[in-house]
Formats: sequence, C-alpha cells, structure tokens
Amino acid sequence: MREKATTIYLGPQHPGITGNMMVRLKVIGDTIVSAQTEVGYLHRAFEKLQERRNWLNSFTLMCRFCVPETDPMENLYARAVESLDNIEVPERAKYIRVMVLELARIATQLMWYAGQNGSMGLYTMGQWSIGDRDYILDLFEELTGGRVYHMYQWPGGVRRDLPEGFETKVLETMDYLEKRLKDYDDLMFANAIFQKRSQGIGIVPKEDIIEHGVVGPVLRGAGIRSDIRIDEPYEVYDKLDFEIPTQEGSDVWARALVRRAEVHQSIRIIRQVLDQIPKGEITTKIPNPMKWRIPKGDTYVRAESGRGEVGYFVASDGSIHPRRAHLRGAAFVHAITLLENILPGQNIADVSVIMNSLGTCAPEIER
Amino acid sequence: MIEQIKAAFPNAENKDFDGNRLDITVNKETIPSVLLYAKDKMGFRHLSHIAYVDWIEEGEFELVYLLWSPVDKVKLFIHTRIDRENPVMENIDMIWRQANTYEREIKEMLGIEFPGLVAPDEFILEDWEDLPPFRRDFDTLEYVNRTFWHRPGREDAQDVRETIAERSGEEIPDFAQKYSR
Amino acid sequence: MYNDKNSQKIVDIIQNWARKHSIWVLAYGTGCGAIEIAPTMTSRYDAERLGIRGAATPRQADVLLVTGYLTVKTVKRVVRVYEQMQSPKYIIGFGSCTINGGMYYDSYNTINLLDKYIPVDVYINGCMPRPEAVIQGFVKLQQLIAEGKANGAQKYLDNLAEYKANQAKIAPHWIAKAPDYNW
Repeated sequence: MREKATTIYLGPQHPGITGNMMVRLKVIGDTIVSAQTEVGYLHRAFEKLQERRNWLNSFTLMCRFCVPETDPMENLYARAVESLDNIEVPERAKYIRVMVLELARIATQLMWYAGQNGSMGLYTMGQWSIGDRDYILDLFEELTGGRVYHMYQWPGGVRRDLPEGFETKVLETMDYLEKRLKDYDDLMFANAIFQKRSQGIGIVPKEDIIEHGVVGPVLRGAGIRSDIRIDEPYEVYDKLDFEIPTQEGSDVWARALVRRAEVHQSIRIIRQVLDQIPKGEITTKIPNPMKWRIPKGDTYVRAESGRGEVGYFVASDGSIHPRRAHLRGAAFVHAITLLENILPGQNIADVSVIMNSLGTCAPEIER
Repeated sequence: MIEQIKAAFPNAENKDFDGNRLDITVNKETIPSVLLYAKDKMGFRHLSHIAYVDWIEEGEFELVYLLWSPVDKVKLFIHTRIDRENPVMENIDMIWRQANTYEREIKEMLGIEFPGLVAPDEFILEDWEDLPPFRRDFDTLEYVNRTFWHRPGREDAQDVRETIAERSGEEIPDFAQKYSR
Repeated sequence: MYNDKNSQKIVDIIQNWARKHSIWVLAYGTGCGAIEIAPTMTSRYDAERLGIRGAATPRQADVLLVTGYLTVKTVKRVVRVYEQMQSPKYIIGFGSCTINGGMYYDSYNTINLLDKYIPVDVYINGCMPRPEAVIQGFVKLQQLIAEGKANGAQKYLDNLAEYKANQAKIAPHWIAKAPDYNW
C-alpha cells in the first residue's frame, strides 16, 4: 500500500529560512518528494518606482534591492548610466569602487558563515563572524556615512574621498581578519559535525549546469572556472592579480571551501588596490538632474556579487525618467528552479542547510 | 559571427558596438529557432534573463533575450516586438529550464500569454484583480491613494519648507516651489 | 491583567518588573531591517544582557518586531501570527516604512501606515536604525511596561471591528476565509 504524502509549509515565519519566502514541501516520512518555492512576500515594485523618479533619484532606490550585499547594485546602476550616456570615470574613483565592492564581498561571506553554521545548530560561529563583520561596517560608516545602505557610488564616480588615515585602518582590519580566518578554520572546517552534515548533501548535478543558469559559487563548486571579474572585466579588475578558486564535488562542503577561499582572495585584492591607488579626481560632474535627458537606447551590465552574477537592464527613451529598469538577482534561478530540482530525496532537516549554501536571498528575487 | 547569423536567418537586422555586444532584431515567430541555433551551434549557452519594455505609444511590447557565450565572451541581445492588443508568445522552457520562471513573471506583470507554460498561476502577487501592474497605463500613485492611507500632516511637505524659510530668512528657490510629491 | 497608572498594586509592580526583563522576540524577518537584528543580538551590541532573545514560534514570543515595509501578502501572515501570540504581547514598528511608508510610499504593494492594521506600541525610526537605536527602542518599551501603558493587545481587542475593516480593505478575499479572534 502506498503512503500518501503530507504537505508541510516551511513558511515565512521560520527560524531556518534565509529571508521572507516559503517552500512548500510534500514529504513521506522524513524524505522530501517534491518542493515548490513561493515568493512574493517582499515585492515592492522597484521597477515601477524607478520609472517615476528621475535619473539621479533612482540611485537611492538601487541599494535596497538586496539587503545583505548592497554595493554591487549601486555599481550596476552607475555603470549602466555611464554606458548609456558616455560618461568618463576617473581612475581614482574606479579603484575606490573596487575596494568598496571587495569589502562588501567579505562582509557577505562573513554573514554567510553565520547562516550556514546556524542552520546546523552551531551558533558560536555566528557570534564570532557577525562580531567581526562589524569592523567592516565601521569602515563603511566612516567612509560613506551608513552601515548598511551606503548610496556612495553614483554615475560619474563616487561621492566622497577617502578620509585621513583610512588606508591604515583598512590594512589593520585586513590583518586582523586574516588571523581570524585560521580560527574559523579550526572551529568550522575541522569540526566533525559540520563535515558530516555537509559532505554529500545538496549535490547539484554537473551536466548542463551552465544551461540551467547556475552562477556564482555554486558554479565554481562544480569545477567550472567562471567569474565575471575575469570574463568581462569591469572597473580595474584587469589590472589586479587574483585567483578564482574552484572545487570539484558540487556539494555543500565544496561550496563552503570555495567561499572561504574567496575571502582570502578579496583580502589580497584590497591590499593591491591600496598599493596602486592613484591621486586625482573622484567624480565627473553630472548635469542638473531636473533636466538630464539620456539618449534613447538600452544596455545590460553585469557584476559579480558574493552570490553570483547580478545583471541590470536599462532602457531609456530620451526623457528625464528611466523608461524601464530591470534587475536580475543572483539567486533568481537558484531559489526557484534549482531548489525545486535538487530537494527531492533530501531530509527535512537539510532544507535549511541547502538554502544557505545556494545563497538564496529573497529580496533579490522579487525585487 | 554576424555573417553566421545572417546566413542562417536572412530577415534579421543587427548592429554591433563595444566589441563585446551584439544586437539582432527578429520576428516573433522565428524566436524558438533562432534561440536553438544560438544555443547549440554558436555556443551561447547561458540565458541571463528575458527583459521586457512596454512601448505604449507604438502599441507594442518588446522582449529582449539576453544570452552569453562563456567561450567567446560575447553578449547577444535578441529583440522582438509583440502586438499589445493580443499578446501571445512562444514558450521556450524546453530549451532553457529557467525560462519557466522568467515567463511566469512576464505573464503576471505584463499579461502576455504563453500557451504551453506549465506553472501555478500566481507568482508574486496574490489575489490581484487590477491591470497587470507593469503596463504603462497602470497608475501606481492613484492606486495607492485609493487603497492605502498616508500619514496626515505632511501631504506635500509644504509646511516644512515654509517653516525653514521663515526661520532662516531665506527664500524658497524656484525649482522647489514647483516640485511637489 | 492590564493595568493603568491608577492601580499600581504591589502584585502589578512585581509582575511588570519580571515581564520587562525577559522579552522574547519572534524570529520573523519581515523586511529589510532583519539585517540589523543580527548584530544587535550577537557579540558586539549584546542584547541578551537585557533579557532579549529570540523565540521560534508565535506561542512562545512576547514581541513581534515588524522590521520595515510590509507587503499586502505579508500583512495577512503578520496579522495571523499576531493573533496567535499569547498576551501580554507588544509590537515594535522598526524603520521609517512602518511610520509613513518611507521610500516606497507610492508602491502598489506596500502599506503605508502600520497602525491601521495592528496596534503598535513603540516606533523606532531610521533607515536602517543603528543597533544602539534598536536597544533604545527596547528600553523605551521596558519603561512603558513598567508604567503599565503598553496596552496594544487590549486596544486590539476593544477595537476589533475597526481593525478588521481596515484589513478587509486591502485583503477582502482573505478576510472572508480567516478564522475568528478567539484563539
């Protein structure tokens, strides 16, 4: 006699899911038979709002697209408007932008440490890594004025120059974080509980992985060396020297190793940036925003955030408002199509581990 | 690469700039065959997104398929136009699995029908009965004034500006007088 | 159980003192503000020294922290969760989106005034509020509890018809199927 499947809602109010979304599971016993993601709890209709703001106002909306990592979105908007209107960006601004982006990447991966371990019940890591992430947020607060929403990169450059003594502070923080990475290794990667609960879980099948739209650390955890910073270099990434870590294995353990190596590479990039940064202007003057009209056209720019490829499509029709702005979040495919395809066969207790490992961030999906 | 496309599809137009971006415009009936050709024969294996623009003054929707080739490092934009009165478009989720999600969003936000799309009806909005919200003729501020309340006392911020102007003795500049929420 | 300033018997004073020093917050990140809850509860701006910790389900929580904007879809879930919580219960509105709609005042999917749908006791403004501001908000809630003025739950019970009418304006289909307030 076949058993009937029960429906469980891993719903919006749950301590284990990453953000405000829902996964509807059909289970028999403890094994999942089918899964369906439901999003829409965070839909703010950004793109409609951007059509009502002019070209300068809408950059304040951009950083609120994805809450854990806000800087790649601002960068996308700045580069999109610059490419539509042919604005030149000074070199010093590009270097500062790269530094801000890499600091944001380190902060995201530190927050991922907390989430991934918290989903397995190991809460000490969260206390350590979110406490250390606060040092980076202090740097942001000194540079831009805000801890979470910076609103710092606008079309034409950046808004403020580096304050006095800022470079020394950044280098001290980087030294401190490198020491802490060894502590994190002992606590997390040498931990038998973490190893048992992550090896062999959440395997993403490697065939046709690019056709299925997988990006970011999930793709690098399957052995494919693909990163927008080297495929389509933007800002000054072509002048910096860094590696792209990959792992075979394509399970939660491999992705964890990839992310840990990325933190290391980001620290390396920041040190090179502070060595090579030239003196000069920090922004090109933009025209009066009440009268700024951009010629008709469209463009699609991409950047690499901590979770994968984010893309931004802008179409303009020659007026002072954008005609259409559309953001493709990094987790758009991971949270819906990929999750529904790899969950059948796993246990209920592993759903949260897999969601954290794929990097699903709910605000990006439905903007 | 342009010659390759032109040889296979004689009625596509193109323009190419920036060295790494290619645009072509095709008829909507040829979209599935163009996409299959680009994916299998030309190496554009990664579908980034399906973007959409509403050109209400021309009476058409425009769909843009954004493709990327990881080997040649080239972006390909495929533009098509769909009639606004009766919008129907081919379903391509047998070519790329993630197109299912993209098409669900387009169907809900713009109202384009994709015959053959197997997916639950509601994606982002729940119990929505008005126009598809991303069309240009849907006025969002008027909907907000009808359904939700604003906090009383700061309707167009005029009292704040006047108070500041009185206290500091300055005049309200011209552009601030015309600009209201 | 709900007292006002006139009846501060010794039993009420002790009860309020105990309640204000052990506030359990429901683990529900409804919006943007959930990102600043994590630093508040962990090692840097340690909120656990004030007795604030997370709770997993509505029946075990005291405070529902509405962090940021609410879409229409989330309002339905928040109302249902609020009705499941046991009294005494409080609501803190976090961020400027709960006060007047914030940046998304003209979006068709976000509500502008939180107070019309559920009763709010304390507002914390900012976008984002700093963790110190969050702790200040909790301290203000503790003051209100000690004085006996944090009566949001009683207000909900007294004006139930009005709150339900406001909720029905944005979600008519859901109100028709929702269970009664007699949990």
